[in-house]
Amino acid sequence: MPSWPEKREYIGSHAKRIDAPAKVTGAAKYPSDVQPEGWLYGMIYRSKWPKAKIVKIDLEKAKAVPGIKAAVFAPRFDQPDQTSRYYGEELAAIAGTTKQACLDALRLIQVEVKEMPFVVREEDAKEDTSPRVWDDQPNLSKPRLKENGDVDKAFSECDAVVEGFYTTPVQLHHPLETHGNTVSAGGDEITIWPSTQHVVGARNDLAGHLNVPQSKVHAICEFMGGGFGSKFGLGAEGGIAARLSQAAKAPVKLMLTRFDEALAVGNRPSSFQKIKLGAKSDGKLHAFELDSYGTAGYGSGGASGGGSASPDFPAPYIYKVPNTRVKQSTVVVNAGVARAFRAPGHPTASFGMESIMDELAVKMNIDPVELRIKNDPSEVRRKEYTVGAERFGWKEKYKKPGSSVGPVKTGIGCAGATWGGGGRGTKAEALVNPDGSFEIRCCTQDLGTGSKTVIALIAADLLGLKPEQITVKVGDTRYPPSGGSGGSTTTASVAPAIYDVCTKALAELQKQSGVEDARGANWAGACKKLGITPLTVNGQWQEGLSSSGAGGVQFAEVEVDTETGFTKVKKIVCVQDGGLIVSKLTCESQVNGGILMGIGYALYEERVMDKTSGVVLNPNFETYKLLGLSDAPEIDIVLLDMPERGVIGIGEPVTIPTAAAVANAVANALGVRVNSLPITPQRVLDAVGKLKNIVPAAAA
Amino acid sequence: MNSFSYVTATSPASAHELVGADGRYLAGGMDLLSEMKEYIAQPKVLVNIKSLPALNKIQPGDKSWTIGANVTIADLEDHAELKKVLPGIQQAASEVGSRQIRNFGTVGGNLAQHSRCWYYRHRDIHCLKKGGDMCYARHGDNRFHSLFTGNTCISPIVSNLAIAFGALDASVIVLKGGKEQKMTIDELYHEAWRNPEAHNSLEPGDLILRVEVPVQRTKSAYLQMSERSDFDWAIVSCAAAATVNGNKLNQARVVLGAVSNIPYQVEAANTFLEGKSLDEATTSKAADLLLEKAHVQPFNGYKIPITRALIHRTLMKLVA
Repeated sequence: MPSWPEKREYIGSHAKRIDAPAKVTGAAKYPSDVQPEGWLYGMIYRSKWPKAKIVKIDLEKAKAVPGIKAAVFAPRFDQPDQTSRYYGEELAAIAGTTKQACLDALRLIQVEVKEMPFVVREEDAKEDTSPRVWDDQPNLSKPRLKENGDVDKAFSECDAVVEGFYTTPVQLHHPLETHGNTVSAGGDEITIWPSTQHVVGARNDLAGHLNVPQSKVHAICEFMGGGFGSKFGLGAEGGIAARLSQAAKAPVKLMLTRFDEALAVGNRPSSFQKIKLGAKSDGKLHAFELDSYGTAGYGSGGASGGGSASPDFPAPYIYKVPNTRVKQSTVVVNAGVARAFRAPGHPTASFGMESIMDELAVKMNIDPVELRIKNDPSEVRRKEYTVGAERFGWKEKYKKPGSSVGPVKTGIGCAGATWGGGGRGTKAEALVNPDGSFEIRCCTQDLGTGSKTVIALIAADLLGLKPEQITVKVGDTRYPPSGGSGGSTTTASVAPAIYDVCTKALAELQKQSGVEDARGANWAGACKKLGITPLTVNGQWQEGLSSSGAGGVQFAEVEVDTETGFTKVKKIVCVQDGGLIVSKLTCESQVNGGILMGIGYALYEERVMDKTSGVVLNPNFETYKLLGLSDAPEIDIVLLDMPERGVIGIGEPVTIPTAAAVANAVANALGVRVNSLPITPQRVLDAVGKLKNIVPAAAA
Repeated sequence: MNSFSYVTATSPASAHELVGADGRYLAGGMDLLSEMKEYIAQPKVLVNIKSLPALNKIQPGDKSWTIGANVTIADLEDHAELKKVLPGIQQAASEVGSRQIRNFGTVGGNLAQHSRCWYYRHRDIHCLKKGGDMCYARHGDNRFHSLFTGNTCISPIVSNLAIAFGALDASVIVLKGGKEQKMTIDELYHEAWRNPEAHNSLEPGDLILRVEVPVQRTKSAYLQMSERSDFDWAIVSCAAAATVNGNKLNQARVVLGAVSNIPYQVEAANTFLEGKSLDEATTSKAADLLLEKAHVQPFNGYKIPITRALIHRTLMKLVA
């Protein structure tokens, strides 16, 4: 069984990102930057109706705009009388030589429609009297029931029972680089530059769209600007770009706008969770019941790479309760569908479950950390609670809920998370040149998470070289394949393959050169002995260097202004298990990013649908609010060092418990709970009773 | 955006001549260009006024300060003496957008900017303010909308500077029909109170030249409450100014922003504060007077407690 070296100089260090200079100087070329010879802008014409029969689309006037080289229908809409089911659905597209030509042409596309009744809000959609999204089925699905034990009897045996109703919003995917591709499909050579989480998958997808052998398609994605679960398939925009490129016989760059992102590239489903939890007098959980519904948009939000995008979520999440009844339903609305979103289901599950846990702690007068240690089946997390509580100063800081004095109240809270991680299947090749230069090629992708750096650090340690001596090539289907970057599996899938290929390259070099130990100072001399022919070696993922299952806990400290409703997160302590940490710097960046995203989920982010017009009301960063730097808290990261477990992957677990911990801290500060995310000033003021006597006048 | 012609004016008079009936003035462009990109504004001519002489100066004076229309928000924010003499203006400036926006945005543009109502700004919603026949906000999500309006549109004014200038009783010098005209802050906005399509009282071709701010009030302050600490619009803003003798206020003015389509003042509140020492009861009574005619919409009632808190805090800043 292979094992990681005992002595590690670069693995686990704060070594810098190897591609940092390229990113800072702009030398790094993202799919948005690619400009193949003769490329055209592509743009999509989207439905302006939440639900409508699209009788006819006339592209002729658009085609006549100077500079426009192609105009095509979106799949399905080349046929008359198709139904469009949400504001923003792709209906047609155009390609042209300038952005302005495309913008002008879009305004000349003429669509004949029959508008149909629609519904965009979950609360409305689930009522029988609302318009149906699909004619042949009610908007609210039958509940999916899972039952263990005799729940009703178990509740009667409990010494304490708490109930709550918690809601979470639809959170939009907004990666910094928008979704899109540059596609050159006009000739025999087909090339795609996708902004993707799965380069091999993008190639396969495009081949499918064009009905050509996969071997004909070359996909390249050396850099990309974030995906978070929403960039596995090519998306409608990828297929459309290919159609345009074929029609125009020229490369087409079709990158979505920020406006488009709010409509059609996926989101985290909402949830409405009715929870009942009971415990025995010793604080042990005994009975649990959940009745929930949520929306994944007009569809079911079925499985996509990296996890499900269904509104279902694990319950009772990380806890083992002997008697459980879980009922979950999906409600469809006329809005864009869900896609996998960083730890699909988990932040949603965590918010509901950890909220009710704190309610139980209050009711039973048990310290919330103690209640968790008593009930958490994970040994790792129990240890993390102990380590984290000490580090955070939990005992000193904890006050009874609502006992903070003055208008600005402080509070603390905690929550836990679980995630799988792990990964397998990656292949890689190494090239050892006679001049000592060393290159690793692997068709994984670097989502900005630091995959290239991970590869370089491992190679450097195994070969006794410096990371900057390693050339790392990723994101090209001409390299050995790797899987999609989802489920926090990239590092655990790639690192063992790099271990393997480096070990083999070293052995082969030593054999061919006759140098007994070719590492470090002997490297250059050994390579020289290769003569003129470079050495190439293939490697692949090996058992024993990685594992799965990552537990984490977080502690939050907040300040809540009860006069204005403003919540400020002051501090987050994160204790996370990640096995062997390969690149500590980029790992910590993942933790920071996960926490900041979690705070966004807790306090700001929410897709707002307008019931009258059916549009997304906040399709921009002005009103779809993301966390800004001035609201970023102090973040204290403790990575439990468990190298014996091998590489695991932590990109997702670190975003899971943040919102729950923040919500619990707000409840601790106020002495009353805000049951819905995001925790807006309006909701805080409502919770503290400041809106009691304020009565809206009737709508004019 | 639509195509347009672009000309540079060398004097206010030539600017006025060049802008014609279908033109717009371009200074920082922060608001205008984004409206053009969304086809909300479709001018035929853009008249560059960035190089008009003398409009980019802040001139201190014994009785009043003169602030040119082309002074950037960042210039106001960074002006050390202004921060001492007219802190309310400096504070209001520092809360505008992001530093990048403040580097480009100008005083004139800030005062003349259009509504940020998310219905008005939506490319596919033809609301009352755009000449349509319905205020979607009244029937929809009005969490960011007004508590006071004189017409059907409930989109609030979002200019921070208008609120601070209002509290200081500033005048705005506008080139109107080729002639300079002095307008009070009330006059600059009163048209928005009665006309749903108006953002202010400026007519096509009107050009803001400068603002004159009297310094007779020795203290001023501005506070806003937003969902985020930085780079966010105010849910409610409040400016106050007064001459403070000991703990007593004279000539006090309190102006509210983001709760009405105009900088919102209530004369009775100002009168009530005359000669008063500030305490919780006094600021609370002032808040009562200011909020007396609030017309709460289904989703904006939370602005009431926030407004009360801001009135108290802003007034207390005057005597801090």
